Amino acid sequence: MKGVGVTALLVIVALAQVTVAPLFTIRGAVPELGLLLLLLLALFAGPGSVMAGLPALALFQGFASDRAPGLLVIAYLPLLPFAAALEDWRVPLWEYPRAAIALVVAGFWLRGVLAFGAIAQGADPSFGALVLDVLIPGAFLDLALLTVAYVPLRFIGWGGQRLSLQGSHY
Amino acid sequence: MVMFSRYTWWVGGMIALAFVFAVMSQVGLMSPFQGLFLQAAAPFENVLTTVFEPVASSLANIGNLNDLQNENAKLRVENEDLRNKITSLQQDAEQVNDLRQALKIAQSGGAETHVAASVVGRDSSPFTETVSIDKGANAGLKTGMVVLSAQGSLVGTVITVNPNTAFVRLITDTKSKVNAQILESKALGIVQGNPGRTLTFDLSQADAKVGDTVVTSGLGGNYPPNYTIGRVSEVSGTPQDLFRKVKVEPLVRVSTVSTVLVLTSFTPQRIGATGP
Repeated sequence: MKGVGVTALLVIVALAQVTVAPLFTIRGAVPELGLLLLLLLALFAGPGSVMAGLPALALFQGFASDRAPGLLVIAYLPLLPFAAALEDWRVPLWEYPRAAIALVVAGFWLRGVLAFGAIAQGADPSFGALVLDVLIPGAFLDLALLTVAYVPLRFIGWGGQRLSLQGSHY
Repeated sequence: MVMFSRYTWWVGGMIALAFVFAVMSQVGLMSPFQGLFLQAAAPFENVLTTVFEPVASSLANIGNLNDLQNENAKLRVENEDLRNKITSLQQDAEQVNDLRQALKIAQSGGAETHVAASVVGRDSSPFTETVSIDKGANAGLKTGMVVLSAQGSLVGTVITVNPNTAFVRLITDTKSKVNAQILESKALGIVQGNPGRTLTFDLSQADAKVGDTVVTSGLGGNYPPNYTIGRVSEVSGTPQDLFRKVKVEPLVRVSTVSTVLVLTSFTPQRIGATGP
């Protein structure tokens, strides 16, 4: 049942990424709803959902946007290990700032990988524009969306999950 | 350490899976599944667009109220100017017709044919600007075909065709390069997209003024000539510079366009197969 729910969420987010997200842009950056969903799944449903859901999300989003699913797998990949490493290193931060750091770093990676993918296919390399028009506005969008999504979920009592694999039931 | 080693195995597995996906995409094994997914998803995409587009539009308008008032005033003046030009052109056309009849010259050039399509999805990830439309190979679309706005301005080209859907690369995509010319000075150059969803016109040693109209030149054979791309909005550098920076504002907001026309009567040089 949980698997069906997560799959439905992944499909909805993949479709929202090509219909809703492009309506809310800052300069060259769009909200990365898939990345946000993976982080929220990790925090509220545990790392196992993300480990199984990431390739499915890459496939759905690749189909919806005509992007290479393989590139999307690589683009989403560091989020979970990095968030788990932040937890494992016992960085003296609460869950929200840890999640925010993980999202921003993973967002830089994701947008960078997608940009390099486009450059490899013939787009002009423009690293200044990548930073100013894509990475920095993208980080603001990600943080704003995380705040909007995370706070209500914590408020209604959803508990945070441990991201370390030995600490979870997966 | 246990956590690290287990994640390492997972990361390794995902990299292998990414490689498998890449190979499957290359040999076209993904295409049938993509076609099915897009067909099933089309109604949901329409619902999401219908619900959220007015919300986004209202939010944008609240922030830009002053700009909109100024733009409205400017458009009223421009509208009047254009109406006058239309009247003048109609008179010219009548005169040309009369002269043609008098000289018995046959009308040259065939009629344009289009396929109208609705935009059902947009991908605006870094350096990429594509839209998906609800017409595909079954409607006669082929990769490479030119896509126009409902008013006839250049929007982009078809890059992928499925049986009932297709993907269009917009002119603001960083991979898009269009041979163009300035209508007023006939200066030639290449219009290309930028990461900030703007257009630049690479123009070598020629003059350009703010307000000049940029149209397709037809050179290279991938776009028909004389389709409007936009207006020059900023020129930096002097005419003596080898390359001047010219910014072009598209006449149509290509990233929010909802209906497009695929030009089926023009065969571009790079036209491809209909796809799967």
